[in-house]
Amino acid sequence: MSANQEVIVAQLKVLLKDFTQDWDHEFEGEMDRSTKLLGDLGFESIDIIQLVVAIEEDISKKKVPFDQLLMKDGRYVDDLSIGQIADFLVERM
Amino acid sequence: MTAPTTKTRTLFIGMDGCTFTVLDEMTRDIPGEGLAMPFLAGLMQKGVRAKLRSTPNPLTPPAWTSIMTGKGPGEHGVFDFIRAEDKGGDVYWTLYDSRDVDTEMIWSIASRNGKKVAALNFPLTAPPPKELNGFVVPGFIPAKHLRRNSHPATLFERIKQDVPGFDPKELAWDFEKEKQAMETLSASDMENWVRYHLPREEQWFNIAEYILTHEQPDLMAVMFDGTDKIQHQAWQFVDPSLVPAEPTDFYKRMRAVCREYFANVDRYIKTLVTLAGPDCQVFFASDHGFTATVEVLRINSYLEELGYLKWAVNDGSEQALRREASDFANLDWSKTTAYCRTPSSNGIFIRVAEKPGDPGIAKKDYNRFRDKLIEELKQLRNEDGEPVIVDVLKREDWFQGAHMKDACDLTLVLRDNGFVSIRDLKPVVVKRPEPIGTHHPDGIFMAYGAGIAGNGMVPRRKIVDVAPTLLHSVGLPTPSDFEGKVAESFFSKEWLAANPVVIGAPTQKLGERAKAEEMDDTEKKQIIEQLQMLGYME
Repeated sequence: MSANQEVIVAQLKVLLKDFTQDWDHEFEGEMDRSTKLLGDLGFESIDIIQLVVAIEEDISKKKVPFDQLLMKDGRYVDDLSIGQIADFLVERM
Repeated sequence: MTAPTTKTRTLFIGMDGCTFTVLDEMTRDIPGEGLAMPFLAGLMQKGVRAKLRSTPNPLTPPAWTSIMTGKGPGEHGVFDFIRAEDKGGDVYWTLYDSRDVDTEMIWSIASRNGKKVAALNFPLTAPPPKELNGFVVPGFIPAKHLRRNSHPATLFERIKQDVPGFDPKELAWDFEKEKQAMETLSASDMENWVRYHLPREEQWFNIAEYILTHEQPDLMAVMFDGTDKIQHQAWQFVDPSLVPAEPTDFYKRMRAVCREYFANVDRYIKTLVTLAGPDCQVFFASDHGFTATVEVLRINSYLEELGYLKWAVNDGSEQALRREASDFANLDWSKTTAYCRTPSSNGIFIRVAEKPGDPGIAKKDYNRFRDKLIEELKQLRNEDGEPVIVDVLKREDWFQGAHMKDACDLTLVLRDNGFVSIRDLKPVVVKRPEPIGTHHPDGIFMAYGAGIAGNGMVPRRKIVDVAPTLLHSVGLPTPSDFEGKVAESFFSKEWLAANPVVIGAPTQKLGERAKAEEMDDTEKKQIIEQLQMLGYME
């Protein structure tokens, strides 16, 4: 993992901790690259739209073409890990 | 309750979708039912009111954005709730947010001119501006995201601690529930739908009361949106022209719960107006009005009949079925030249080929193609021989501005003001089993208080007039680039003489637009491409 990826994973962990603090999800462990939005943190589709806004506001500081991460071959991906988002952001920022 | 003098100069109460058709009913004494809104009735008698002409397509996001910016959609750039991009097999959805509003809102204008503001439950206010002298709890944001989108960052926790009974789940926008507004519901679901909005509105009132009491902003604004939601489903129970000769028990029950909602809003208004004190000016506005829609126009089926459009093949797969069920047209793009993208757009996009070989018509044929299409749209008749489409608006006539290219090429005005369907169904025009509520272009604009004229009903105003009128009330000039004008007929001659209308400096560019201007060309192109595909939601 590159230094950039490490920095972004750390930023995403801080953001997601704040983002999900009022949620009823059962995730209790420490977030890492493999933590999944839907599988672990209980995201729904509307939450992903809000997360995109939060990432653009707090991390990238600009709009990012997230459709390229969220859709593959014309279909929505089933889930995303923190690592996948970090790798995408490193490419795009 | 006492009537203190406060620092609040201007109280703005938004009522989504409110119309005089219903408001006049709720503010008159009906035999056997009484007066649902006695306090507002008194205010209306002493104050001034006008119909308020909405945006060309009278819809919540563009219309409230016009109220908050004093500009039309062609300038502010918001056309819908949802922006949808067709990605071949599936639709990529995202929501418009405050960063898409390409001009300054009154909250920012007032704030940077030294005024303290509060904006509660207004759409397109999330994420809130980072430097704002005041308070924002945005509307149309799910409960899980209210904390991050409230301003200042400590506000959510403060409300949680200080406002008794605060429950973000009860207060906030529920994406799945909101979709019911335009669905056909069973009797019990319809009753539950109306009841669901009663505690929701109480939550917004509690926050407004708390902010007004403890902060006394110069410009205090709260929006109640249950009016719109209830009228969509329960129009037949509030429209005086649709009262049946022999009402059923269900009708009586539904009418009673609708009137209970309006009675509650009257109580909220009474408390807020009293808290704001006798020196305050109080304004009310809605983003659009309401009326009954009696038929469904399946616009893409009509375009198919005319040869402009071809449906995509549905192979029965899970993906295809999901795609088919989405509120975004599912078409064979290689054989489509004109189509309606989403139901609530009420508009038609014409596909123009960028280069030879691309799908779509040649640029040189655009005007001829469009004129022919307009004629064919106007020829459509229902089974009674009545024209279904009564007007067709060209975008250069109605959406002038920096974002005109994002508007539909043609916006349809239906004879019953209904929203179109984009489903692959026949016949093209079908009568609804029961009338349901739909948006009417005329909403409400009213005022009451110190320096407000007791003029009763005055000539209709434009939706872009609300922003300059509110700024004028709070003591600020009208920015020179506003499209709207101060509603001078709302103020007494004496007050206006002491407080003449002043045209001031133009609005400032901020947020995403300012950032975009710092980007290189590639980044600009990416953003423009993202913005080019607009969507709409039933």
